[in-house]
Amino acid sequence: MSTVVEPRNAGPRTVRVASGPDDDRGVVLVWRRRPFVVCVVALVVALVAALVTVSVGELGIPLPELPAVVAGNGTKIQHWVLYTTRLPRLLVGAGAGAALAVSGAMFQSVTRNPLGSPDVIGLGAGAAAGAAAAGLVWPGVVPVPVGAVLGASVATAAVWFGSGSGFSRPQRLVVVGIAVGAMALAFVQLALARASREDAMVIAQWLNGSLAARTWADVRLVVAALVVLLPLALLLTRPLQVVEMGDEAATAVGVRTDRTRTRAVLVAVLLTAAAVSVCGPVAFVALTAPQIARRLTRSSGPGMVAAACTGAAVLVVADLVAQHLVPGQQLPVGVVTAGLGGVYLVFLLVREFRRSAA
Amino acid sequence: MSVVDSPLVADGVTLAYDRLVVARDLHLAVAPGSFTVIIGPNGCGKSTLLRALARTLAPREGRVLLDGEPIHKMRSKDVAKRLALLPQGPIAPESITVGDLVARGRYPHQGILRQWSAADARAVDEALRATEVDDLRDRFVSDLSGGQRQRVWLAMALAQETDLLLLDEPTTFLDIAHQVEVMDLCARLHAEGRTLVAVLHDLNQAARYATHLVAMRDGRIVAQGRPEDVVTEPLVQEVFGLASRVVPDPETGTPMVVPLRRSVQDDVVR
Repeated sequence: MSTVVEPRNAGPRTVRVASGPDDDRGVVLVWRRRPFVVCVVALVVALVAALVTVSVGELGIPLPELPAVVAGNGTKIQHWVLYTTRLPRLLVGAGAGAALAVSGAMFQSVTRNPLGSPDVIGLGAGAAAGAAAAGLVWPGVVPVPVGAVLGASVATAAVWFGSGSGFSRPQRLVVVGIAVGAMALAFVQLALARASREDAMVIAQWLNGSLAARTWADVRLVVAALVVLLPLALLLTRPLQVVEMGDEAATAVGVRTDRTRTRAVLVAVLLTAAAVSVCGPVAFVALTAPQIARRLTRSSGPGMVAAACTGAAVLVVADLVAQHLVPGQQLPVGVVTAGLGGVYLVFLLVREFRRSAA
Repeated sequence: MSVVDSPLVADGVTLAYDRLVVARDLHLAVAPGSFTVIIGPNGCGKSTLLRALARTLAPREGRVLLDGEPIHKMRSKDVAKRLALLPQGPIAPESITVGDLVARGRYPHQGILRQWSAADARAVDEALRATEVDDLRDRFVSDLSGGQRQRVWLAMALAQETDLLLLDEPTTFLDIAHQVEVMDLCARLHAEGRTLVAVLHDLNQAARYATHLVAMRDGRIVAQGRPEDVVTEPLVQEVFGLASRVVPDPETGTPMVVPLRRSVQDDVVR
């Protein structure tokens, strides 16, 4: 198997990695340089933020000592800090950020609208309601993550039917989604009101979206979700790209538009549910990360890998900020992302209204 | 012409959007190698019929046959290798270049592990050349004029390398020079051996470029045949409700519809 890197003749600004002796046979994947660079940069940012997270604070491990701790030669406390608190927290943050971002990229592509992201159209709220139902209202019926999946699915179904023609009318979908989100949050409030004070405290903390006190079980869940769902998202990237050109144009080149949409929504709902069940409905990562990735890569379609890397970086950096913004007090990471994402959401809404008014 | 030879046949199709039935029991066999143009007033079902032929709309009853096979039962990619469509109002993704957009026409020829080939590169080059947009290759589609953009979408359809090309009102929203440019391009693609089926608004344009005309009204096919046989004063009256004179086009000799002056004196008196 040979690898050919050949910038010529492979469409504009592409580098081709080909295998096989003949140009028209074997495996040929199209790579673009810019998204690759963006991914590397995002991962470096995430890694730097992770190293800072590990090293700062009262129990921080100074960077020069980190190799020794990793090698098992640190103090007991250092070992505990790294492996029981900070590393799981970092991994859950990175994994959930990636899952939310990919889910957002897929939803934004399906709805052909940057506002059509799961946190805006009520998916995160639906997952929260499902989790609240499973944790507070009917405890013990299903595990909380399963409740989150169910809640997200119910919210998606409500948006699907509420907007009439499935997901093919993006403007209506955003309005219906906001309504569904409001209803889901009302249900969460109801659940909180009925719960005992201790339970309500726990769930309220969780509803803000928090990465505090994550465990390796959470890491396993989000990693498993990514391992299964990310490849499926990658398989859907090319058809989704085409579906963005309109149903007729997509059908004309041989894409089954309804089937592509259904599959994408399914994968995206599961990704959101997985992320929400490990860190709560962290706001606006799904909205912003794919858009940041798309702008940086100057890509003409949804880029799942770039979105995933950007989402991981965004959530790890946001969590670092959340831990140290107010001295002596840890904010839930959702507060930070909501602050950042809220500004961006207003920007998007203004642009959208200007566009529809024009 | 027999139905057997036709590459694309509507066989008793009833067409509807939700509960609104647009056309009932239509029969149409596209002649191989023809430039077939469907005409008719707004809302007569001409674009709906084209959508059914392009399998973007499933008929309520009846079937569409592509080379004798029911098109809605074929694999979508297999259809796309034989039949291309220029739809109305396709959406150009944000910040896509002309070359990248045209390359998307290669989708039916590609797979998950076969995302690009020399054949793809050749087809894209050829499509860009045929539509004379190869010098725009690295430009963003959003920066182009309407006429250029339409040629780029046409290039994307050409990149599919199909014998059949369907066009849904390709000249609407273009100024007259760009309309002629697009129609001349279509005529050239037809002359090169493709079978074209188009929906057109402009009767004179249709008569000038078509080899076969199909006139529709109220969801029915009223007449079909050579332009000189179809475009007559009674038919224009019947289909469009327009009193007109039909004279030979001074440039091509094809029938040209000139609407009658509507009693100008009445207007002056009023």
